[in-house]
Amino acid sequence: MNAPLTVVGAKVPRKDAIDKVSGQAEYTVDVALAGMLHAKVLRSSHAHALIKRLDVSKARVAPGVRAVLTHADIPAHFMPVYGYFIKDQPIVAVDRVRYVGDIVCAVAADSEAEAAAALALVEVDYEDLPVSATIESALSEQAENLFPVIPFGVMPTYGQGASGKMWPQKNVCYEFDYRSGDASAFERCEHVFEDEFRFSRMHHYHLEPFAAVANARADRIEVWASNQNPFPLRKELARIFKVSESSVTVHVGMVGAGFGSKNNCKAEPVAVMLSMMSRRPVRFCLTMEESALTNTQHAAILRLKTGVMKDGTLVARASEILLDSGGYTDASPLVAEKAGYRIPGPYRWQYVDTRCLCVMTNTAPAGPFRGFGGTQATWASESQLDMIARRLGIDPYDMRVKNLLKLGEPFQPGDSGIDSDLKEGLDLVCEHIGYREPRKPLRGKGLSIGCKDGGGVKKAAQARVRILTNGDAILNFASVEMGQGIRTAMTQVVAEVLRLPHGRVSAPSINTDHVPFDEGTNASSGIAVMGRAVEGAARAARERVLDFAAEQLRCDRGELDLDNGFIVQGTGPNAQRHPMGPMVMGFYGGPGFEFTADGFYMPPVDHRAPLESPCVFWEIGWGAAEVEVDPGTGIVKVLKLVASGDTGRSINPLVCKGQEDGAAVQGYGQALFERMIYNERGELLNIDPLIYRVPLAEDLPADFVTITQQQGHGPGPFGAKGAGEGTILPIASAIANAIDDAVGVRITELPITPERVLEALERKAAAKR
Amino acid sequence: MNDVDIRFTLNGVERQAAVAPNVLLVDFLRDSEQLKGAKIGCSRGVCGSCTVLIDGTPVAACSTFAFQADGRSVVTVEGLAQGGALDPVQQAFIDNAAFQCGYCTSGMILMTKALLAENASPDRSAIVEWLSSNVCRCTGYAQIIAAVEDAAQRLREAAR
Repeated sequence: MNAPLTVVGAKVPRKDAIDKVSGQAEYTVDVALAGMLHAKVLRSSHAHALIKRLDVSKARVAPGVRAVLTHADIPAHFMPVYGYFIKDQPIVAVDRVRYVGDIVCAVAADSEAEAAAALALVEVDYEDLPVSATIESALSEQAENLFPVIPFGVMPTYGQGASGKMWPQKNVCYEFDYRSGDASAFERCEHVFEDEFRFSRMHHYHLEPFAAVANARADRIEVWASNQNPFPLRKELARIFKVSESSVTVHVGMVGAGFGSKNNCKAEPVAVMLSMMSRRPVRFCLTMEESALTNTQHAAILRLKTGVMKDGTLVARASEILLDSGGYTDASPLVAEKAGYRIPGPYRWQYVDTRCLCVMTNTAPAGPFRGFGGTQATWASESQLDMIARRLGIDPYDMRVKNLLKLGEPFQPGDSGIDSDLKEGLDLVCEHIGYREPRKPLRGKGLSIGCKDGGGVKKAAQARVRILTNGDAILNFASVEMGQGIRTAMTQVVAEVLRLPHGRVSAPSINTDHVPFDEGTNASSGIAVMGRAVEGAARAARERVLDFAAEQLRCDRGELDLDNGFIVQGTGPNAQRHPMGPMVMGFYGGPGFEFTADGFYMPPVDHRAPLESPCVFWEIGWGAAEVEVDPGTGIVKVLKLVASGDTGRSINPLVCKGQEDGAAVQGYGQALFERMIYNERGELLNIDPLIYRVPLAEDLPADFVTITQQQGHGPGPFGAKGAGEGTILPIASAIANAIDDAVGVRITELPITPERVLEALERKAAAKR
Repeated sequence: MNDVDIRFTLNGVERQAAVAPNVLLVDFLRDSEQLKGAKIGCSRGVCGSCTVLIDGTPVAACSTFAFQADGRSVVTVEGLAQGGALDPVQQAFIDNAAFQCGYCTSGMILMTKALLAENASPDRSAIVEWLSSNVCRCTGYAQIIAAVEDAAQRLREAAR
């Protein structure tokens, strides 16, 4: 089995390549069923209000209208609310709205235009409630309670040092706490620094909006969804609509990206409910503006108290992280857990004390976003580490190296060891940025290392491999292709194990009736979790073929191998190659046969690990930036940006590079300009795609380098680790650190706009006078 | 509203249709012609996912009426492959992994076709300028820029 790899690591084209370059790839937005209606929803224009009157009578009789959905139309035995951990988000508003964009009611009509025209006839009387559009105002004593009645929820469970609390105070839906080490460590510190950082939120800006097509009856639901977690979606729909999970079918084709947002229910419940009411298939496709009002990143305030020795040794860190969860909880408790747990960064500590709160505000619900709390944590942690180094007169590189965890050293007590050589990666980006070169005036260089636990927690994955009569293979699995190339990488793994050309392995699209259960496509878990199930299934299916062949050839199983659809008997020049087809049909008859096997993987549960399971792998993002600051305008020009991740081993190198490029550019936009802007009335000011700014090709740094390391320590097939989130982590802090290096000012709030830089420069000049 | 009779060329084939005057070109292509390669992203003419070529010029089909195609030649991504062979631009996008989710890809490819028709040897800044009218949220653009450079070279070599 030590043959050189032929498909893994090779430059094979993506499985979806031809479909995607020729317009043939089918996304949920492309699904059209006979007799299909189109849904539109009325969204609240008030950020926080009671609904005093809702009159849809004119809409019900408007041209083309087939169904109108208000809260009163939902049968009493259905669950009118959904949510990840906390079931708080109504399908349509119950008695109040909690943010601008909250769904008030919905219409299904023959066309979208008719649905929209009908919604214009709906009359709503609102009674405004006080609005909390920011974390501070939601936590203030006089703030209105967003949830006067506490919604039902279930708690995640934790291991050593970690704990959670549901609704610990008004407008806080969840608190995550983690402590390890010796609390007296702060007393031994020679310096203690306290700093506050602010993190702005982005819209995911997936180009394919949230979309669903539903064909539902009272006892049977079929849904086509742009959703990254088909099985959890099936479960949630079964729960809401009170049908057996076995009566819910979820189809997922190509997903036009998600970056974390396409979790749990989004467009699906409205489509299902309207389909049940109209007895027709219903398509509900949001606009880009509506998508921005449906799920966002978490804005955050992060307060760090860090104790160090004067030689730069890190000793103790206490942190308070406040996440802006928006109007509904979505995945906020999970993001809080991750932000809180990741705040120590990849360093050695004697004491860690973190507290992370999810604060409910009258803004769009926040949910999973690439980096998942790690982006927020890295912004604060890597900024502060740099600030402390400069305060102590230590080179920030040296201070990092002094404290970095070594390969194999546990991230925290009870957790798994770091599976990348962190210094090796740091040295690599330092070399590419020319860290040791003398600085030119107004230019500076900054470093950063992001580190997140990857692979999710206790995620179970299953896959099925079927080897056909002639040796071709089909891989059935539920990892969703959102652009990350998972269906390409996994078929490469199968091809490698079965020694087939990549083209002979297919992976049909997902239908929950026909693919084995999987928890979902998230947390960079594809290759490291599902990959192990896939590899296991391929190996087991191969064994079945070889067992069969050994019987047919009446030889010892150990003499046989499988190669490109041939049973190979013996080795070297005397090896005999038997084509599988005739052998299989000789025994099973003309229709042939399929040799099927399942693979399963779930990380072990271990209560000594803080998150109850040692982290599957560590996803690292090293970043380095060189900037030039214009002191007259505050404009920061990023002359060079270097980002690097460690894939362990790249199953498909070009796909891996694309992931690292894309994540780094998302971080780059966030660093310099991209953000959702809310006013104090809870109105999103830059929702229109004409003014919401994402990075374009022309925004790229003049010199943009990504380097995929393959350090070989991953737990996945052939040493692979997950990829795709690492390089978003370090970008903003690397740029802020470079600005400090250039002009000696520190920006602690994202994005780093020219106004903020100019203001900081003016403050610095004033302090000197 | 009375329908408007239009005659136009769609991917090289003469077509006639009666379209309502308020129907957008992107909806006409996707719903009436079943050409779903043009994608609706922002619906504001910003993201470029719906880009098609009209008489060789890239336009946002979400911001163009169907009747504006009258008397003109419309090319969508479905019209690029000839006789079962991919267009060199399509092949360059595959070979450089210039897409991830693929939602922007039709638009990016058609934008590249238009660029290379106008400038067979675009330098990097010309490529960046042209591509900056389309959004890709996945790739970070580096591999798309590489694909355009690669496609330009292939086309130049084929022309020699």
